[in-house]
Amino acid sequence: MSAIQLGVEGVTKRFGGLTAVNDVSFALGQGDILSLIGPNGAGKTTLFNLLTGQLAATAGKVFFDGADITHYRPNQRARLGLGRTFQISQTLTSLSVLENAMIGAFLHHPRIADAADKAYAALERVGLASRAKEEAGHLTLGERRRLEVARALGLEPRLLLLDEVMAGLNQTELARIVDVVVALNASGQTIIVIEHNLKVVRTFSKRVLVLDRGKMIADGGADSVLQDPVVVEAYVGKKKQ
Amino acid sequence: MSNLDLAQSGALGDSRLAGRRGAAEVWTVANELPTFFAVVAAIGLAVYLLSNQFFYLNLLTMALLFGGLAVSWNIIGGFGGQFSIAHSVFFAIGAYTAGNLYKHFGVSPWIAILPAMLLSAAVAAIVSWPVFRLRGPFFAIATMALTEVAIAFAMHWKAVTGGASGLTIPYRAGLENMIFQQRWAYAALFLGYLAVTLLTSIVILRSRLGYYLQAVRDNDKAAEASGIPIMWTKLKGMAISAALTGIGGVFFMMYVRIVEPAGLLSLFDVGVKIALIALIGGIGTIYGPLLGALILVPLDYWLRAFMGSAVPGGNLIVLGLILVLGSLFMKKGVAGALRQVYRAWSRQQ
Repeated sequence: MSAIQLGVEGVTKRFGGLTAVNDVSFALGQGDILSLIGPNGAGKTTLFNLLTGQLAATAGKVFFDGADITHYRPNQRARLGLGRTFQISQTLTSLSVLENAMIGAFLHHPRIADAADKAYAALERVGLASRAKEEAGHLTLGERRRLEVARALGLEPRLLLLDEVMAGLNQTELARIVDVVVALNASGQTIIVIEHNLKVVRTFSKRVLVLDRGKMIADGGADSVLQDPVVVEAYVGKKKQ
Repeated sequence: MSNLDLAQSGALGDSRLAGRRGAAEVWTVANELPTFFAVVAAIGLAVYLLSNQFFYLNLLTMALLFGGLAVSWNIIGGFGGQFSIAHSVFFAIGAYTAGNLYKHFGVSPWIAILPAMLLSAAVAAIVSWPVFRLRGPFFAIATMALTEVAIAFAMHWKAVTGGASGLTIPYRAGLENMIFQQRWAYAALFLGYLAVTLLTSIVILRSRLGYYLQAVRDNDKAAEASGIPIMWTKLKGMAISAALTGIGGVFFMMYVRIVEPAGLLSLFDVGVKIALIALIGGIGTIYGPLLGALILVPLDYWLRAFMGSAVPGGNLIVLGLILVLGSLFMKKGVAGALRQVYRAWSRQQ
């Protein structure tokens, strides 16, 4: 395994009496791709928000490239190289497609022409370059998801976190975004994906991490994890004896 | 299909293939300049043509002042989406700075522009720090409260503001005193002010700060995840907006030569009016606020003249009605509506 990029140590998040994420620890190497799965309400998005700083952890630590970033704001983490998308696409509807992508690219390219070039390149990587001039509000759900990926790519992230970018898409859109993710990882991009569709997870992810009611119940190779009785039980319930 | 697309575009990390294609697709300051010069030249022509028609010239002068103020407001209110109705405070700071420096120290108002800008920006940054934690209507209400505090403050600080009776400065005509015998010179002065605010607004909109402000306005969650420091971005926008508003105060002081707190800090006649003008003209656009001023300032005058005596407060009722109808049917203001009409027309051609 390559050098450790992301380290998560005993991260916990409580909302009042509810423990959404309970003592989760794992490490991710540079260039790896990891899928985070689990039933609804398992705490996947909450864990994402703890990694990117949208939420503050109740306990535990998050390390990125060896530095403790537990108390960093989301914009500081983005600066360090954490790029993310949101489960509900956060499209900037008054801007064009290209301008949406530029919002990310400005981070390392303050000049407008440079940012536009980088943003255009990011749009090409997600297959949206031909739509660059259109209003972002006119895009379909699938296109908005890819636009979010482009905005995150504009940050030139060292770690890309994709929150259910494949949910609710039709077959064509799904195939396109899977291609995008596979191509990105092949080019050396470290990625964490939240995904419901286990069939899709199998196609691109060797390593799978399973959450259930805030607890990490499995972490390992896709095939073995998906056949693990504990995981199966979490997903479909206990088999009647 | 998708694989082909990705391969062609160099999805595997080779972005060199993209070249400079993005820059060609994005609107820059240079693209905006022709329209800017055309607008300024057209208004310059209007000033020239009206130079002997004092009534209309005065109306145009006030429209240009409020146009400049609304364009300044639009930087934080429109681009940044922070609906301030406290810009009268920065307007008053500009007026009092110039008035006092001129009256007590004989400082030329041209020189007073700089301290007026700095003071307005500094006050804006200090009061905005806590207020920017509020969102939407709560932010607007907090700025309203700020106006009330400023009025009370101005009423009591008589050494600087002259209290309720106002601050008067002596009439000494001359370019260095920014006091003119010819009426058209003031119109030209306010046209210059408008041009400065428009140009600043263009430069900001076509720069990183402009995009960051819009990102914060549209979606602060996405903005923050994109590495944008939200508070700092809002503060920068607010400081620039306030500094430009302060310049308007300097010019206004030298134009009327007497200011009193109730007029200068009036919630309706200055604070809300600036925001209203931008809103009706087209919030977040470059020329919308100017358009709003050219429509609303004469309309307001006309309503006062013809309704004020017959139905006291009638002008406010009509303006309120316009605001309601405008926000219901023209969400992007007159500028937005015109753009829609133009697009529909060009599609038919």
